[in-house]
Amino acid sequence: MALSTIERFLLTLTLYNLLVTAAVSIYGIVARPSLTKKIISLTILGDSLNVLAIFIGFRVFSIPPELVSEVELERFVGLAVDPLPQALVLTAIVIGLAVTLFLVFLALQVYRLYGTLDTRRIRELRG
Amino acid sequence: MRRVIVAVSIAAFTALLAYATTVAGALGYLGLETRALARMFLALAYNPNLRELTAMSPAAVAAIVWDFRGVDTLYETVVFYMAIISALAIYRGVHKVGGGGSVGLSLIVRVVTKLLIPMNIAIAVSIAVHGHLTPGGGFQAGATLAVVSVLLAVVYSVNSFSRVGVEVSKAVALQSTGLIAIAAVVFTPLIYGVLTGAQAYLMQNYVKVDSGFHFPAEVLGQLISGTLIWLNIAEFLAVSFGFFTVFMLLSLREEVVKQPLLGEGHGS
Repeated sequence: MALSTIERFLLTLTLYNLLVTAAVSIYGIVARPSLTKKIISLTILGDSLNVLAIFIGFRVFSIPPELVSEVELERFVGLAVDPLPQALVLTAIVIGLAVTLFLVFLALQVYRLYGTLDTRRIRELRG
Repeated sequence: MRRVIVAVSIAAFTALLAYATTVAGALGYLGLETRALARMFLALAYNPNLRELTAMSPAAVAAIVWDFRGVDTLYETVVFYMAIISALAIYRGVHKVGGGGSVGLSLIVRVVTKLLIPMNIAIAVSIAVHGHLTPGGGFQAGATLAVVSVLLAVVYSVNSFSRVGVEVSKAVALQSTGLIAIAAVVFTPLIYGVLTGAQAYLMQNYVKVDSGFHFPAEVLGQLISGTLIWLNIAEFLAVSFGFFTVFMLLSLREEVVKQPLLGEGHGS
């Protein structure tokens, strides 16, 4: 079994798309002044890195890491994808959602107190 | 100058990640071989012949999450709890959920939602209790159930929370119950070891080489994988009601939230 050229191309394209998405979202976090856009960029960065982690564990011609009775252990071990990245990502997604919610609460309070989410204007305000 | 630094660091980050994943071979997607570590986890997830090493769970991901790397997950649960508690601390002084007389969206949407919510709850519970057998577990089930709180807030308005008997204090209490249940499962081997003088480890699931203590792997012929089912159910409680708490607070009306923020003098 080997990958065809089109499969190889599509896998590589997916990988570079993920990297570019991560880079653009870092630009959003660092350079955009709006707190809302910073939070959106942060979630995009987290998700693209999660997909990248899953991609590292993925192998072609594989089966899910769940042992069912029809499959013998030998064959299962040889064929299943790496379960470790999946285990790390599944907790990371839920933690990421909780942390995003916390940031949303912070941004909401900032808006209620200062009337703006622009970091350049928040910096000038006192008290 | 600032823009140049930003551009250069982003380009460097992308180049570094691209190098690590392709040239340095951190990415194995073109290889057909499984990594040695992955092969070990897969071989030991459910293996009744190696009783000292297995987690007795056919779902390899669940076995890693709560057995092989259980302390890691415990730490992540603490991070989750801290995020929820920090959000609650920001909203300190806000108690009132509901009040006012709005009834939500149109009749069609409300009836369809009424049909969907029991299904949602059933699926969430199913994902939680089958976490050690199929893909899923406490985290996923909790996130599934959290959808119910958003549906209630959007379709039936914020007032519905008090109508169906869900309050912030109750949700926090249920979340804490889940965390206490996790702690109870984690400390059970330790208490057993102290009481009987036998060798037992913190967060132990199945028999180890020098310890005979183990949780029952099967009950009435049903595989429950020792601690895995209990930890999944407890985590389900903790995650779902943690999200319930924050979504409830997030959907509060503006004047309710602003009152404690602006002080006594500004309140009506």
